Formats: sequence, C-alpha cells, structure tokens
Amino acid sequence: MQQFIFGLANGSIYALMALAIGMVFSTTEIINFAHASVIMLAAMTSYWCMAYFHLSYILAILIAVVINVLVNMLIYKTCVEKLGRLSANIGWIVTLFGASIIIDNAARMYFGTEPQPYPYLFGGKVVHILGANIMLHEIMMIVVSLAVGLAYQLLIQKTRFGRAVRAVSFRRDTARLMGIKSETTVLFCFGLAGVVAAISGALIAPITFASYNMMSFIGLKGFAAALIGGLGNTRGAFIGGISLGLIEALIGSFLPAAYKDAISFFVMIIVIIFLPGGILGAKFFSKGRTGKEKI
Amino acid sequence: MRNSSRKAAQAKKRYSALFAGAWGLLLLASLILPHSAGNYYTRLGSLLFIYVILAVGYNIALGYCGMVTFSAAALYGVGAYASAIAITRYGLPFGVGVLWGMLAACLVSLVVSIPAIKVKGDYLALVSIGVLEIIQQVMIGWQGVTGGSVGFHIDRWKIFGLPLDLRGKYYVLLAVMVLCLAFQRNLVKSRWGRDFKAMRDNEITAGGLGINYPLYRVFGFLFSAGLSGLAGAVYASFIGYLSPDSFGFSFSLFVLLMVVVGGSGTLSGPVIGAAIATIIPEFFNASPDLKQIVYGLLLVILTQVLPGGLVGTVKKLFHEIDDNIFVGADSRRGAFNFEDYTVSSTRDTENILTMKGLTKCYGGLTAVNALNMTVKRGTVHSLIGPNGAGKTTTVNMITGIEKPTAGSVEFDGQDITGIRMWDLIHKGVSRTYQHVRLFSGMSVIDNVVVGARLSYTHSLVGALFRSRKMRREERASYESAMDYLQVIGLGERLNDAPGSLSSGQQKLLELARALCMKPVLLVLDEPCAGLTETETEQFSDLILKIRNAGISVLLIEHHMSLVMEISDYITVLDYGKEIAEGTPEMIAPNPEVRRAYLGEEDKAC
Repeated sequence: MQQFIFGLANGSIYALMALAIGMVFSTTEIINFAHASVIMLAAMTSYWCMAYFHLSYILAILIAVVINVLVNMLIYKTCVEKLGRLSANIGWIVTLFGASIIIDNAARMYFGTEPQPYPYLFGGKVVHILGANIMLHEIMMIVVSLAVGLAYQLLIQKTRFGRAVRAVSFRRDTARLMGIKSETTVLFCFGLAGVVAAISGALIAPITFASYNMMSFIGLKGFAAALIGGLGNTRGAFIGGISLGLIEALIGSFLPAAYKDAISFFVMIIVIIFLPGGILGAKFFSKGRTGKEKI
Repeated sequence: MRNSSRKAAQAKKRYSALFAGAWGLLLLASLILPHSAGNYYTRLGSLLFIYVILAVGYNIALGYCGMVTFSAAALYGVGAYASAIAITRYGLPFGVGVLWGMLAACLVSLVVSIPAIKVKGDYLALVSIGVLEIIQQVMIGWQGVTGGSVGFHIDRWKIFGLPLDLRGKYYVLLAVMVLCLAFQRNLVKSRWGRDFKAMRDNEITAGGLGINYPLYRVFGFLFSAGLSGLAGAVYASFIGYLSPDSFGFSFSLFVLLMVVVGGSGTLSGPVIGAAIATIIPEFFNASPDLKQIVYGLLLVILTQVLPGGLVGTVKKLFHEIDDNIFVGADSRRGAFNFEDYTVSSTRDTENILTMKGLTKCYGGLTAVNALNMTVKRGTVHSLIGPNGAGKTTTVNMITGIEKPTAGSVEFDGQDITGIRMWDLIHKGVSRTYQHVRLFSGMSVIDNVVVGARLSYTHSLVGALFRSRKMRREERASYESAMDYLQVIGLGERLNDAPGSLSSGQQKLLELARALCMKPVLLVLDEPCAGLTETETEQFSDLILKIRNAGISVLLIEHHMSLVMEISDYITVLDYGKEIAEGTPEMIAPNPEVRRAYLGEEDKAC
C-alpha cells in the first residue's frame, strides 16, 4: 500500500510534467527539453523567497509562477520562434538543450550546490491508512495534479482560448488565416506550461530537496511519461505518468536500487518501439488524426 | 556563360590550393607541437585529436544522416570500457581492445537505431537519452566488471609490446585522427554519402530512388558508433583511468556542441568545432559554471545565427570548392541522343502495367474504387479526372507509398502489389512528385546522379579507398547525369543549389533524376502544374522523346491541351471510379467526361 501510494504520487508528478510537455507539443510539435530546468527554477526561486525574504508559502509560489511564465515565454522567443518551420528544422532540439544548460548552471551559480530542504504541505503530517504510513503531502500531490489536469481539460474544451489552441494544434497556418493569432496562442501555451512547471516544482521539491540538479532523473522521466501517454495527448499524459510511477514502484521493489532509474527509460524505449503514438495513440483510441505528410 | 564557368574552374583551383595549403600547415603544426610546447599542450592536443574522432563519428549521424541523438557519450563510454576491460582483464593487445570497443559501441548503437526504423526526430533523441541513462546506470551498478563509481584503471598503453610515452601517444592519436578524417571524406564523397544526404533531405524521394531508408539509418548510425567506440577505446588507453561520470549527458551535449559550432554536415566542421570546444574551457578554468553557460549560449545562438556552423558559413564564400570534379559546365560530349537510350526490360508482354480491382479506402471514404486499367508498353497513358478523383492515390498505390485496400498491380508481368517503394526501382519504375521533392542540401547535378545509384558495382571498401573502378563508375554516372541536365537545359547550373531554380526548372530536374534511373515505366504526377506556356511545351516535347526512346509513361495532368496532344490513351477517373477510357479522339466528345469536368450541360449557365 505504501509503495502503491508512493508510486501514485510520483506518477502524478510525471503526469504533470507530461501535461506541460504535451501543452507545448500540441501547438508546436516540439518537445520542450528545457522543461525540467524550468521546474527546478520554480522550486529554487520559491525556496529562496521563503528562506531569505520570509514570504509565505503561497506568495512564494505565486512569485515562482510569474517568473516561470516569463522564463518559458522567453525560451519560446529566443529559442524557438526564430527557427521557422519546426518540422523541417531540428535546430530546436539543440537550442532547447542549450537553454536548459544555461538555466541549470545559472541556478548553480546563484543558488549554490547545496541541496536545500523544502517544506512539505501540511508540515509533513503522516496519516495511517490500511496499516501504511502515508504523508498527507503525497496525497496532495495526487489531488493537486488531478485538479490541474481537470482544469486544463476544462480550459481546452470550454473556452475561446481552448478552441484556439485546438485549432492551432491541428493546422497552425490555417488557424492563422481564420484570424487566430497563432504565435500568441503558442506563446500562451508556453506560459501555461510554465505555471504547471511551477506547481510541479513545489510538489516535488520536498522529496528531492531543492537543488540545481534535483531534476536530473525526474526530468527525463517526464519525457518518458509524455511518450507513454502519447505526445501532445494531454489526457494520455496522466495515464502515462501514473502508469510509469506505478511500474517503477512495483518493479523497483525487485531490482537493486542502482537500476531503479533505468526502468522508466526501458519502458519508454519499449513503448516507442511498439506503440510510437503512446498508449492512447494505439489504433483503438485514435480518432483519425492524420499525421501523415501529403505526397 | 562559358566565361563564367571558366572563372569558376579557376576559382576552384585557387581555393583548392589555398585549403590544401592551410591543412598542410595545420598538419605540420601538429607534427612539431610536442617538440615546441610543453607536456600540458601535448596532452591537450592529444585530447583534441580524440574529440575530433568522436565529432567525426557524430557528424556522420547528425550532419549527413540528419539524426539528432544524445547517446554519443554512451557509445564513447562503452567503447572505452570494453577496450579497457579487454586489455586489462584479459591481457589482449591494444589493437584487439580497440576492435572490442568499436564492436561494443556498434552493438549499443543498434539498440538506439533499431527503434529509429519506425520513428525519427524527437523520438530518436528520447530513445538515445534513455539508452544513455541506462548505460550509465550499468557502468555504475555493474561493479564486478566496470569497477562502479570508484573507476577503472587501465594498463599502460603499449603497441606491439612497446610502452608509449606522451609523445608517442600523441603521434599515434594524430595518425588515427587523420585516418578517420580520410574515412569521413571518402565515405561522404561516395555514393553512400550521397544516399545518406538524400535520406536526410527527403525520405520519401530517397525511398523512391531505391534507398531503403530505415536500413540506411541503421547503417549510418553504425558508422557513427564505430568511430565513437574507436574514440572511446583510444581515450581509455590514453588517459589510463575511467570513471562513469565522464560519460554522462553533459558530455553528449559537449559532442553536439562541437559539431554544431563547427558546422554539421561539413567535412572540416568537426575539426574546427572540436578545436573551439576544447579551447573555450581554457578561458574558464576558474569558473566551470560559467563555462557551461557559455556552452549553452553557443548552442542557442549559433543554431539560429549560423545554421551551417562556422565552416558552413565560411564555405559560402568559397562555394566553388565543392564544384563537381568529374564534369564541368562546358564539358560537352556532343548532344545526348535519345535513340541510344536502351530500355532494359526482362519480359516482352504487351501490357507494361495492369491494375485489377485496385481499391483504397480511408476510413469511410473510398478514394479509388475497383479500378481496372492497363498501360500498354511504349505508350503515353494519361490518367485524368477532376480534383479528388483519386489520381495521385492510384499512383501512390502503384509506387508503393500507399498500400491498396484491395486489388492487385502487375508490372512487366510481375505482381508488385504493396511492394515497398525502395524495391520498386529495381523492377524499373521511377516517378516524379506532384509537389516538387528535391534534395535541397545537394547540388543540382548531385540531385540527378543519386538516380544512377543502381548502376554501381563497386563495394564500400572500394569507395573508401577510392579504387580505380569506383572513380571510373563515378565519372560515368556524372557524365550521364550531365547528359540529362543538358537535355532539360540546366547544364550550366550543375553546381547550383536546387532552391535557386525556378519552379519549372525544379520540375524538370525531377524529370532528369527520374530518367537517370533508367526506368522502363516513368510515372509523372502533374509535371506541368504551375508551369508557364513555354515550359509546358518544352515538357510535352520531352515526354514524346521519352516515349519514342521506348519508355512507357503514365501521366497525370490537368493541362487538357497537353494531354490531348501527346497521349496515346486516356483513362478518366471521377470519385475513384473509371468513367471512360480510350484514345484522345474517343475521350474528347464523351458526354460523361464532359459532365465530370464541366457539369451537367443543361444546368450549366
């Protein structure tokens, strides 16, 4: 039970990351490789706001959200926008990794290398359920990420902005002809991904401690989760993230600790080979999205 | 024009001498470096040579095959550990250790590249990151073999039992690096290099030319991995101590940086890039974080400001250096004669192409419905119909791009239903595309000469050593490619980029490439769409010449005057169904055809 909840909690973090990666992917068809660094940035800034400026938890996180939105938009402006057609130009992989290096090392220079303890939600209170010791924080991780996921689905399905996002993700140029400001929509998606990144940063930091390299493994697992759920599929992101978290928790108990991190990459490679569209991209679920180039 | 081509030839000669001189000086400088500089710089130089080998390998995958991967550090590390273990644990000689290292790296590369058969781009990058992380975990976790995070010590570097001192190591590394550069140059300047570039620039067209691109990706990555493994193996013996930390993600980024800065897809890019990436950190010894930030900035800025890297940008000034060495704009062997063109057909059936009940459904939509059609040998057969009639779908089914839902296609007496596109050209079918699909990163003549790839008989080894046979075959295929360029009137433009041609010329270039494949059946998908009146006339002349040379032509076209003028037979499609077939004289007055094209007679205005 403890392992199960732990897997679920970790899985919901992966799901949040996959969600943010999916937001960006759905409108631009690129994977934001700098995403993990942005999460780290949120954790670090909110920690410093609390520790040195003695701001309250909520306020610190709000500041982190604002900074994240700005940084993510800056990443789009400096690393992505100028590259032109992204499907033909793989330069974005290089620039986004470049941005990630810059953020990581800037954080290392300004915040130091020492991992810092980050406060748990509800002060790390532990409850006993079915004979297992479970931290309230872990339950909150699951609840908050589900709430974020639901909110995003509502935003996408019910609002004007959501319609624009869906139009842009289907055909960017046609959407522009229809009077949708495609560039602005994409920029907003980057910003929104920044908000989600800030939330996941605040949820994960108590477990990993806030440090410049807190995301070194988890970051990559977010990409794995996004792939397993199907890139650009924001509902699949949750299935991908949570199943990855559970698989890790279950298989991890049989393997030596040294190989634990390798599991998720192994699962990711298997999924790419056999289900390149992710679990929800399998024929059974897909609803006739034509990704194929016309000849 | 003659004058300009002579000028270009002179410029090429001058630049070649200039660059050869520069490389010679650089080589000389590297030869005397250990004697004039201290041990520190000798060590740095040796490391630089190792990085160049690594960058050359990475450049083959990134620059020439267009695959972004992050497993370079893993391949390098596996090469290093495998050779170190072979040498130290099993007492094998250095040469065998190196081979082990290369072999191990190649094996790992298969794990990365076999998923690449199905996916590409971002997925490949993710798979390679996954493999990189797994390999690093294994290096740390498999303590019995790798020594875990404590590290691994290697016996002193010996060659044929002779221990090497620093200078000896330096010269061995220099020699290995020069060999690798020669390998890269000869690989890239052979048909294999062209095939890789074709695959990088346009997969589908490459497939149509007979390039089995999923397999070529695996091959390209094997070459890349072999060189990375080699670099790792010499690194292990050079440095004497391995630790898993050296082979992490940041090292992969360092390799990427070298190639991106120098210029991916250029021969000297890896050398320049490795030199810059090795020298930069020397300025930031005090602050490693700042060094990393500079790396990051370089990646972000250079990719956008200098997409071709330093070498690619400088080279634009000296572009004549890449001019073709086998043919020049003024090398005319007398006009090309279509009568000499021989069509090699295995059988002699009356019908070259027979379709029976060919059907294609997309979900609920039936794009082509039970089409029966035959193309007679040596004729121009036009397939016409309003937009959305299923013409291109039909052609895509014939040429293996789409799999038919039902029905069969028979070509030259053989069943080719659902054949994969790269097998089709072996049967003798080539095609052009509705939307121009040229290889934008290759010169005009190279675009044509890829079509000649089936005529080669020399082996890969022959290409790497530039054997006499290889050069003879290269010359022959370039000369025949030049003939086709003369036919379409682009002989003067052979060294230009295809992007600089007008859209009509680009369509003609596609035709030249298709002809260079020496097809029995040529499939032309709307060759005259968007062409001017004169260009269309030029095209119709060419099509007739092609037919008279004995090539059967299946033509999709909207220009009715052209179709009526040159077709021997016409098939009219509407909503995926055949509505009429016959000679132009029979088709023109057909009421059903008129209705499909012009609407009901009584309803029309």
